[in-house]
Amino acid sequence: MNSPLNRHKWEPYVWLLPSILLIAVFVVFPILIVFKLSFSEISKAGVIGGYIGFQNYKDAVSLPAFKTVMLNTFWWVLSVVGISTLLGFIIALVFNQKFHGRKIARAILVFPWATSLVIQASVWNYIIKYEYGSLNSVLLNLGIIKQAINWRSSYQIEFIWECGVGIFVTVPFVAFCVLSGLQSIDGSLYEAATVDGAGFWSKLFRITLPMVRPSLTVSTVLNIIYVFNSFPIVYTMTKGAPANKTDTMITYLYMLSFYERRKGPATALSVIGFLILCACAGIYMVTVMRKEEEQ
Amino acid sequence: MKNPELVGPNRRALLLVIVGIALSLILLRMPLYSFDACVYTKKSPNTFVGDEKYQNVRAEVEGVAEEYRAQGFACEIGEEVLERVNSKGETTSLITFTVTERLAKSPLSLLGMGFASSWVLGLMLALLGLALVCALAGSVGGMDLVHFRLDKRRAFLRGAAAAALLAALLLVPVFILMNNYAFSRQIGLYTQGLLDAGKDAMYAKMDRLLFEGRMGDGIEKALGGLRAGHSGLLWMLVPAMLLSLLAAVQLRHGSIRSSALKAALYFFVVVVCVITLYPYYVMTITAFRSNAETLDMYFLHLFPTKWIWSNLADIIHRGVPRYLLNSLLVAGGATVLAMLCGIPAAYAMARMSFKGKKAFLGFVIMSQMFSPVVLLIGISQLMNTLHLNDSVLGLMLINAAFNQAFAIWLLRGTFVSISPEMEQAALIDGCGTVGALTRVLIPMAAPGIVTALIFVFINAWNEYTIATVLISTAANRPITVGITQFSSFNMIEWQYLFAASLVATIPVVILFMSIEKHLTSGLTSGGVKG
Repeated sequence: MNSPLNRHKWEPYVWLLPSILLIAVFVVFPILIVFKLSFSEISKAGVIGGYIGFQNYKDAVSLPAFKTVMLNTFWWVLSVVGISTLLGFIIALVFNQKFHGRKIARAILVFPWATSLVIQASVWNYIIKYEYGSLNSVLLNLGIIKQAINWRSSYQIEFIWECGVGIFVTVPFVAFCVLSGLQSIDGSLYEAATVDGAGFWSKLFRITLPMVRPSLTVSTVLNIIYVFNSFPIVYTMTKGAPANKTDTMITYLYMLSFYERRKGPATALSVIGFLILCACAGIYMVTVMRKEEEQ
Repeated sequence: MKNPELVGPNRRALLLVIVGIALSLILLRMPLYSFDACVYTKKSPNTFVGDEKYQNVRAEVEGVAEEYRAQGFACEIGEEVLERVNSKGETTSLITFTVTERLAKSPLSLLGMGFASSWVLGLMLALLGLALVCALAGSVGGMDLVHFRLDKRRAFLRGAAAAALLAALLLVPVFILMNNYAFSRQIGLYTQGLLDAGKDAMYAKMDRLLFEGRMGDGIEKALGGLRAGHSGLLWMLVPAMLLSLLAAVQLRHGSIRSSALKAALYFFVVVVCVITLYPYYVMTITAFRSNAETLDMYFLHLFPTKWIWSNLADIIHRGVPRYLLNSLLVAGGATVLAMLCGIPAAYAMARMSFKGKKAFLGFVIMSQMFSPVVLLIGISQLMNTLHLNDSVLGLMLINAAFNQAFAIWLLRGTFVSISPEMEQAALIDGCGTVGALTRVLIPMAAPGIVTALIFVFINAWNEYTIATVLISTAANRPITVGITQFSSFNMIEWQYLFAASLVATIPVVILFMSIEKHLTSGLTSGGVKG
């Protein structure tokens, strides 16, 4: 674009400078610090020593909880992103129909998206309490159950609850992304398909899905990143107890560095997490760039 | 257009409306509630099964039971033997005889009894009646009309019938829930002395319902061992009314297929909304309960037994205003900073061409990938070096930086969608670039800017993780960290926790609702347009 706005070669960079500075100091710099620390010896008191090669990484991998935590992280991201994408897609399809009170329904759907995760996790924590939780009380009063149920009888079930809360807070985001994609579809496409005798399913797979795929890709990739980085749900509901069995990588590295004061392995874990995110980001960039070339 | 072929389906639909309502009434007339009330207890010590004393007491108890039977109640005699070896090594025995009345009541018999559920039942019946009248009035003389040819009056009447049936249907679970609470929980609370308010009134109502008022002062004893339950058949009210509802919708809108689909649609929407709102409902009512009530399942009911408004006053003295102020400073400061840095950058990205544009875009996208959590250690180290840890300012800067990517994203999308002609005209008129931006583009892009602004604000307001790590002084905590003081390991003050949460949540939810429409389009278009 050759607009009269470009009067000096250096002008655009001046416009970018504040933003670059802000990101460089508070995002890029910490990345560098974490990288440097991960190769340094760190004492329990936090005193930083010299270069020790990959010792921190070796320590991190040989931590007793390492395998559990990685597996948990995998299941956490997979189940939360997968199920919320599916549910969000279905909800978006339904909420895109015309019905009375659609505006209200959409406004309600915004709630979980807009609320702080700590608060949501606290409320769910209260809901599923065995002795006085709201869920037991409602079910008892409805006569659906005769006796209070212990909703958190084992750590596996607690972890499933955490995933459930994760899904609960993630679904609206997916739904709104898909909704915006759905609204951009030209209605005449469906009319033409109906004339050609296409049924519900073939319309879904031939028109709707291809048209909302860009929105779905964006929401899925962003969700992988958000969910991977999600800290408050697990931290509020179980704090990773018992013995890190419900920890994900993020909560584990928090515990490791700020409770157990083992900053060395914790920084190594940070770098591993960072690299995983980089891989996701890379895939995302490639898809975005390819789309740009297609257009 | 009159169409005799429509008479059949319309007539069938009307018939189904009537059948559904009739079925509901029959169900309501059936004795679906059962009460096992212990009307007489006799404890007989030092009695052994079969001995003389036993025979006498047994005869006495049977006499009592016979008396009740004579009055037309089904009675059962129960005996419980408790044997124990006392300190002298002798075996003693205590036999407890009970006379239990098994009473069956129909839901309809609750009508006019003054229970909370009686009013619900009355309303439900009124709605059913209204639906019936409306459906009939809306059909008479119009049986042969296709649904989109209905005159205004008939369309309204048929629609009203459907609406009344829907309302009645929704009252069914409310009715069941209220009764379960009253009979199975509330009475237990009264007889065990855990609850006092409204006790005598409740006893009087129960006496009237179960014993036609003849228990008098003995009612407390009789209710002591009350076991109430309802048959699963009661839930059949739901399909019965659903049948009527579907038929009524068909009467109004034509084919049953499309009306069933419509019903499924509304059902789905309602379920999604109910599940979504459930935690907020729990949060709201718990915020106004007393501490004892939050910790006891049996006190829980639809609403607090007493609304404790002083919870709100209490959290004021526990530092909550300070936390809110901190949150406001952090979020407000972060927003201003993110905008001040983001608008010029987005402007350059949208309007100028330069070397490294793609690289900068990549840089922005990459920085969007990292939530500060994975970099926690690096950030806390950096903040130590800058002497910004444990300060509101530090938190502000971090939030601004980590929201920078998204702000640029949204703003660039908005700027691109606005034609550059106006600015070019302004430039030719002698405005500087800054003037063109502030006087022309920013006013035109106001909706997009407000969206970005609010989004950054909410993100910063809701941020929790960095704040827990960086902030150690209580006075510097934002609200998300502040509320955690109400839940310590050994005691959680749920009512304060949720009162503070409520205060922290309401403003952001309202803000968010205002930008919802713009946000989604910004999100995806920004992502796709790259």
